[in-house]
Amino acid sequence: MTESRPLNIPVILGTTRKGRMSEHAARFMAAQIEKRNEVKTELIDISRLPMPIDDAGEGIKDPVFSEKMTMADALVIVTPEYNHSFPGLLKHVLDSCLKEYIHKAAGIVGVSAGPFGGVRAIQDFLPVIRELGLVNIFWDVNFGNVSKVFDESGKLLDEAFAARADKFLNELVWMAKTLRYGRDNIALES
Amino acid sequence: MAKQKSAMICSNCGSEMNHHADKLIDPVKPEDLLQLNSQLGGVIEEIHCCPGCGAAASRRQNEGG
Repeated sequence: MTESRPLNIPVILGTTRKGRMSEHAARFMAAQIEKRNEVKTELIDISRLPMPIDDAGEGIKDPVFSEKMTMADALVIVTPEYNHSFPGLLKHVLDSCLKEYIHKAAGIVGVSAGPFGGVRAIQDFLPVIRELGLVNIFWDVNFGNVSKVFDESGKLLDEAFAARADKFLNELVWMAKTLRYGRDNIALES
Repeated sequence: MAKQKSAMICSNCGSEMNHHADKLIDPVKPEDLLQLNSQLGGVIEEIHCCPGCGAAASRRQNEGG
């Protein structure tokens, strides 16, 4: 197994809405990843990406975002739940790449103002993840009632989320390592 | 694991890349129709990964042979 490169697991903040509480969740997840040895991360805020809306798909591929996805081994996607689903602009951004995602791990973090922690958004998201060629893990992190989980500055108020994030990241790292080995070493049968 | 086509070479580091996936793509451009695999109902994009640096690359199945 190639271990000379650290695992690269960026966190995608999947909403552009003003006042978004998902930013606190995304920063928390990135901080949890940074605590791990041999794993690097960065926060990718979709509101900062130059994504036109007069075209779609790979026709609007941003070279910087594409490079970040190419060099990623796994993705943590933080999505709020808007009207029982994930934000359309998040899908617009993800749809701009394809080969960059194939056989890489994905974990989804749901955020909601209500009690369900984005579970409906996550359920909607799974077929998209699959078609993009990503491999979803079976752990999620669900930030329900998010205004009670973080204060206005983003400070975590419920320490249980540290343990939940740890389990989520353990699984994501395992999947990322396994898939990297496969991408690097196992040829497609033909 | 028969390789029927020439291996892709990583544009970043020069290593031979590993062909690890074929992805069925819906034809969306006029030129895609010329590469359509009618049995599979789309265009096949080969996905390759560089074991040296981790870079990804792809090509259409009827390219690079």
